[in-house]
Amino acid sequence: MTLRRTLVLFVILWVVAVTLLHCGLNLKMFDRKAAEKSTQSYRIGFLPVTCHLTCPVTDFINRQSADGGIFEPVRFASWPELKEAYLSGHTKATFILAPMAIALREQGVPIKIVYLGHRDGSAVVVHKDSNIHRMEDLRGKRIAVPNRYSNQRLLVFRALKQAGMTLKDVELVEMPPPDMPAALYSHAVDAITSGEPFMGQAELDGYGRVLWQAKDVWPNFISCVLAVSEDSIKNDRPWVQQLVNGIAQSGKWLDTSMDHRMEAAQFVSKNYYNQNPRLLTFVLSKPPDRVKYTKLEPLKPDFQEIEQLGKESGVLKGTAHFEDYVDPSFAQEASLLPAYAWEEKK
Amino acid sequence: MRSVPKILLPLGVALVLLGAWHLGVRIMHSDLFPTPFDVARGIMELLREGLLLKYIVASLFRVTWGFGLAVLIGVPLGLVLGWYAHAYMAWNPVIQILRPISPIAWIPLAILWFGITDAAPVFLIFLASVFPITVASTAAVHNMQPVYVRAARNFGLGQFQLFRQVIFPACLPQILTGIRIALGIAWLVVVAAEMIAVNSGLGYLIIDARNAGKRYDLVVAGMVMIGLIGLALDLLVRQLEKFDEVRWGYAGTAR
Repeated sequence: MTLRRTLVLFVILWVVAVTLLHCGLNLKMFDRKAAEKSTQSYRIGFLPVTCHLTCPVTDFINRQSADGGIFEPVRFASWPELKEAYLSGHTKATFILAPMAIALREQGVPIKIVYLGHRDGSAVVVHKDSNIHRMEDLRGKRIAVPNRYSNQRLLVFRALKQAGMTLKDVELVEMPPPDMPAALYSHAVDAITSGEPFMGQAELDGYGRVLWQAKDVWPNFISCVLAVSEDSIKNDRPWVQQLVNGIAQSGKWLDTSMDHRMEAAQFVSKNYYNQNPRLLTFVLSKPPDRVKYTKLEPLKPDFQEIEQLGKESGVLKGTAHFEDYVDPSFAQEASLLPAYAWEEKK
Repeated sequence: MRSVPKILLPLGVALVLLGAWHLGVRIMHSDLFPTPFDVARGIMELLREGLLLKYIVASLFRVTWGFGLAVLIGVPLGLVLGWYAHAYMAWNPVIQILRPISPIAWIPLAILWFGITDAAPVFLIFLASVFPITVASTAAVHNMQPVYVRAARNFGLGQFQLFRQVIFPACLPQILTGIRIALGIAWLVVVAAEMIAVNSGLGYLIIDARNAGKRYDLVVAGMVMIGLIGLALDLLVRQLEKFDEVRWGYAGTAR
């Protein structure tokens, strides 16, 4: 055979085979059921951290009920990609760091915070063998934070302030949370802080020691919030309300009993986070108030404090205020709703 | 007789390296870094769950389309730029500016333009491979023996025929070398391209394993699979060099 005939035949076969296989195996185009499922255009961005746990829990419980899911959760690996997918309109709503949402608002992005993702659920973890026992011991040390717009950075800032130190006394580095445990293990950094379960992982694997939990330094700490675009609020009000209701109800469901939390640890690890369930099991129970999912209405004093700390630490300009970046109207109805009545069939 | 060492030699080197890797992990007493056996078990686990095939197909799909588009656009563009001096003058600086920009730098723009669909990684792979192909094609025309064109002119060939029947075949061996290099690059950027929240692919496997806590065996499993498939792709493209249309270009440098 000549080059041309062989090549043309081979290329056609290859392209067709690879494309068909991809459409079938990964895009599930030939699977009727899956096709119906993905017709919902409302995607919500989240990261596999406990700060966003209500997102998969709401989705899972909804899909078990007769009405089916109300959105399609899309998992990201890091903050910049999550933010960019939201900015491009690919995700209609997203779980996002509170200061990041405020900063986007300051830069003119029509984003509104409608609900909180969680309370507490962060920690500062140091190496087990290190001599760091108090905040003062971190002087001159390297601390990993998830992002410059993370509340964990403000958390460290606040703790430094309480100890009479400033950001100049430590070296902050930005690092995706999944990389933090390994960085601590190899002594690339002296302390790490991010949402769970990555702090719990360092503890669980035996090389991390909790210096302090977020709740000890900043009671009712908020790291992530649920944000939607102003467009959605204007055009899809019922959907946003339904979404906020779902997050509120699943949050209460999670805090109703330890059994619920353990069930969630199993089905979220397996179906959404793709992590070892022991991680979520650990951080959702040891101690039980490590992270909380009730009292999630956005309140002005909380955000004023975030604004203030953001300004002092230089990440926020202070040009956007509570009324600009929060729409508390959805939380009123949602906070009155009871927990989901759903129980896992044994 | 010659074919035996051809297989045994590289296999021996691979085995020695695997042994060194295993010993290294043992000596360092690392909890996190996996041994070759951990990685093999990780690959078996992926195989059992049916994920390995899915991910390989997803990555091949993206590379096929990204790289395919790069060939379709890069080769004609390169030939035209090589042939028309003015086009070269006008476009070459732009190409040389775009060429060194890493596909990773394009990730934010890819997400803004294409969202988190397959189009985004395809675009990134396209960007990574189109410039080496264009540059190789341009260089191929510049290096062509002028006698071919003069002869063709004497036979009264038109512009299009000239391209199809003289310039393209004359440049083919050098273009194929460029394509082979570009395919390597396309496969190289698959990890970066799949860092975007697509939910399949070998690059995604690595990102996902990082999310999953202490699963560095799967991170290395992803790396091993990318390496092995890269080797297979290169062997495949090398088969092209066996055809007469191309082989003449390698005469004299043949092994």
